[in-house]
Amino acid sequence: MTIPLIETQHLDKQYGEKTAVSDVSFEVHAGEIFGFLGPNGAGKTTTIKMIVGLLRPSSGWVKVAGYDVQTQSLQAKAASGYVPDTPNLYPKLTGRELLRFVGDLYGLERLQVERRIDELLRLLDLQEAGDETIDSYSHGMQQKTALAAALIHDPRVLVLDEPTVGLDPKSARLIKDILRQMANRGAAVFLSTHILEIAERMCDRIGIINQGQLIASGTMDDLRSLGKGEGEDAQAGSLEDIFLGLTGGAEYAEIAEVLK
Amino acid sequence: MSVLAELPGRDVHLWPMVWKLLRLRILILSSGFRRARLRRKIGILVLGVVLLAFLGFIFFLSWSLLRFLRSPQLTQFVGDVGPFLESIPVLVMGGSFLGILLTSFGVLLQALYLAGDMDFLLSAPIPIRAVFITKLLQAILPNFSLICVFALPVLYGLGASQGYNLLYYPAVLLVLAGLALAAAGISSLLVMGIVRIFPARRVAEVLGFVGAVTSFICSQSGQFARFSDVSQDQAVQAFQALERFNTPWSPLAWAGRGVVSLGAGQWLAGAGFLLLSLGLAALVFGVALTTAERLYYTGWASMQGIRRKKKVTRVARVQREQPLKARLVGLIPPAVRAIILKDAYVLRRDLRNMSQLITPLILGIVYAIMFLRSGGEAPPGRGEAPAWFMEITRNMLVYGNVGISLFVGWMLIARLGGMGFSQEGKSYWLLKTAPVGTGQLVAAKFSVAFIPSVVLGWGFLLVISFLQRASLGMLVFTMIVVALCVAGSAGINLAFGIIGANMNWEDPRQMQKGGAGCLGALASMLYLPLSLVFFFGPSVLVTMLGWMEQWGQITGLLIGGAFSLTCALVPLWMVRKRVQLLGED
Repeated sequence: MTIPLIETQHLDKQYGEKTAVSDVSFEVHAGEIFGFLGPNGAGKTTTIKMIVGLLRPSSGWVKVAGYDVQTQSLQAKAASGYVPDTPNLYPKLTGRELLRFVGDLYGLERLQVERRIDELLRLLDLQEAGDETIDSYSHGMQQKTALAAALIHDPRVLVLDEPTVGLDPKSARLIKDILRQMANRGAAVFLSTHILEIAERMCDRIGIINQGQLIASGTMDDLRSLGKGEGEDAQAGSLEDIFLGLTGGAEYAEIAEVLK
Repeated sequence: MSVLAELPGRDVHLWPMVWKLLRLRILILSSGFRRARLRRKIGILVLGVVLLAFLGFIFFLSWSLLRFLRSPQLTQFVGDVGPFLESIPVLVMGGSFLGILLTSFGVLLQALYLAGDMDFLLSAPIPIRAVFITKLLQAILPNFSLICVFALPVLYGLGASQGYNLLYYPAVLLVLAGLALAAAGISSLLVMGIVRIFPARRVAEVLGFVGAVTSFICSQSGQFARFSDVSQDQAVQAFQALERFNTPWSPLAWAGRGVVSLGAGQWLAGAGFLLLSLGLAALVFGVALTTAERLYYTGWASMQGIRRKKKVTRVARVQREQPLKARLVGLIPPAVRAIILKDAYVLRRDLRNMSQLITPLILGIVYAIMFLRSGGEAPPGRGEAPAWFMEITRNMLVYGNVGISLFVGWMLIARLGGMGFSQEGKSYWLLKTAPVGTGQLVAAKFSVAFIPSVVLGWGFLLVISFLQRASLGMLVFTMIVVALCVAGSAGINLAFGIIGANMNWEDPRQMQKGGAGCLGALASMLYLPLSLVFFFGPSVLVTMLGWMEQWGQITGLLIGGAFSLTCALVPLWMVRKRVQLLGED
C-alpha cells in the first residue's frame, strides 16, 4: 500500500448556519488520480479550498504529503500545486513573469526556474504568449498558465478544480496526459470535474459528494456495487447512471425522455 | 411564411423597447433600495433631504449674491454689472454643455463598451438603437443630475432676482436637457470613433489616468493664486472677459440668450434663440443616433476580436550578478523579493494605480514651491503673537522641508500601505496557496509601501535642502527622521489595510471594506505630528536654551525613533492573525 499524500478526516465547514461540507474523510495515494464529483453546490470547491489551505475547516483536519495543512501549512503548501476553477491571475504580469514570481515564492533556484519556465511554456504551447501580459490571454491560455504555475515546483500533490472547463479538445487532452504522467511519476492528483467521461477514463478512484457529504468513494467497480446501483443494470452501468442514481438526478433523465 | 417571421418579438419598436430597458434599470435600482439594510435606506433618505436643503441653499445664495451684484456700492467698484448678469445663463449653460461633453466620454465608454450586460443585450432581439439610447441615457443621467444640482438653483436664483416671467423656468430645464443630449451625442460619436482604433479597456485606463492627473493639477493650481492682490482693473477685466462669451455668433450662447430673452419678455428673440439651440441639439443627437447603428455595433463587434499588440517585455537576464549586489539581494528572502518585484510591475503597468501614485508627487511639488516662495519664514500676521511663539514657529519652520517630504510620503503610503493586501484582489489565492509565512508576507507588503515612500520623501528633502543650502549634518538628521516617520506610518496604514482588506472587488474603489482605510489615514495623520514633536521638540528646546543643537537632535532621534519603530511594528503584530484569514471571507 502506498502512502497517502492527501488525507482528510471528518472534514467539516460551516458558513453561519449553513453546512457546506460535513464529515468528509478520504485518502489519495501516491501515483493515484482521484476524481471528485458532485452536483452544483455539493461542496466540491469548498473541500478543495480546504485541502490547499485557502479555507480553514470548521472541524476535522487535512494532511498533504503528511503535513497538517493548518499547523504545518508551509510544508504542506510547498508540496502541493493548485489550479482553481477560475484562473484569476495578475493581469498586468506576463506569463513568464508570473511563473518566475511563483517559482520564487516556492524558493526555487533562479536557473532552475528559468529552465522550468521554458519547459512548461513549450509543453503548454504558450511560448509565443509568454512575454505578453496576461490580460491579453484567452480563458484557455489563462487556464494553461495557471497549470504551469502549479507545476513549476514539480509538486507531489496536484489539486485541480474543473481543469478542463473552457479548454479546446487539444488542450484538454494535453492536460489529461500531463496529469497521467504526474501520477505515473508518483504524484497524487486530485481533480474535480463535471465531465463524467473524464472521470471514468482518467481516474483510478472516484469520490462523489452530495449536499456536503461524501456519499461514495472507490474504484469504478466499487461504485457499481454500491447501494442504489444494485441489480443487473447498475452492475453494467456507466458512471453517469451511478452518479445520477446516487445524487438523485435520475428522475430528470426520465423527464427529458418525455420531452423528446 | 418563414419560421422566423412567426416568432414573437420580430416586430419590435424602438421606443417601447427603450422604455423596457429603462424600466429594467429602474427595477434594479428600486429593488436594490428595497433590499438594502435599514441603515443604508435611512442614509439614502437623509442624503436626499440634505441634497434638497443644499439646492435651497444655493438658490438662496444665488438670489442674494445676484441682488448684491446690482448694489450701488459694487457698481461703483466694478461698473455696470447688468451685461454680466445677463451673460450668467450663457456661462452656466455653456459650462454645463462642456462639462457633460468632457465627463460623459469616460462614462459612455464604460456604458457602451465595457458594461457586463453587453453580451446579453446585443444577442437579444433588441434594436441596436434601443440599446444605444438606453445606454446613453443611463450614462448621462447622473452627470445631468449633478449639473442640475449646481446650475438650476443658480439659474432660478437669477430668474428670481431679475424678476423674469414664469416661462423662463421650464425653458431653462428644457434647454439644459437638450444641451445634455447634444453633448452626450457628440461624446458618444467620439467614443465610437476612438474605440474603432484603440482597445476600449486601454482607452479607459489612459482616460482615467489623464483625467485624474489633469483634475488634480487644476484643483491645486489655485494654490498659486493670490486673490488678495486683485486690483480693481483686474476685477473689471475679469468681468468683461466673461461677458465676451455672450456673443450672438456662438452656438453655445444661443441657449442662454434664448432663456434670458424669454424671461425678459422679448418673445421673438427668445423663441428664435431657443429654437436655434434646441434644433441644433436635436440635429446633433439625431446624427449620433443614426450613425450609432452602424458605428456602435461594428465597433463593439470588432472589439471582441481585438488582440493586443504583442508587448515585448524585457526577457529575464540570467547573468552572473556582482558579488556584493548578489550578497545584499541574498539577504532578502526570495519570496519577499518576488512579491516586491511583482507589486512593482503591477503598480507600474496599471494606469489606474499610476494616477493615484502621481497625486502625491504633484501635491509635493505644489507645496514645495509654496514653501520656497515664502522663504521658510513664518507669516507675521497682525504682529500680535507673543515673541516666544514666533521664536518656536521660526525654529519649527527650519524643519518645514521634513514636513513637506513627510506629507508626500504619507499620501503615497496611504495608497501603497492601506491597499497593499487588498490590491491582490482575486489573485490572492496565488499567495495564499504558496509556502509563504505571515511574517514574510507582511515584510514584503511593508517594503512595497515603505521603499517608494521613503525614496520619494528623500527626493523632496534633497531638492528642498539643496535649494535652502542646508548643512550636511542637518540633511542627514532630517533624512533619518523622514525614514523613521515613514516606517511608522507604513506600519499603521498596512495594519488598517489588513483589517479592512477586501479581496473580492471588481471596481478598485471597493478595495477597502468599511471605514478601515479612512481610520488608517486618520491614525497616521495623528501619528505624524506627534512623531515630529518627539523628533524636533528636543532640538527646538535646546536651540531656545542656547545649547548645542546636536544634542537635541540626538535626543530627538532616540525618542522619536523609538516611538516610530513602535508604531511600525506593534500594529502589524496586533493584526498578524488576521493576515492568515485574508481571502477566506
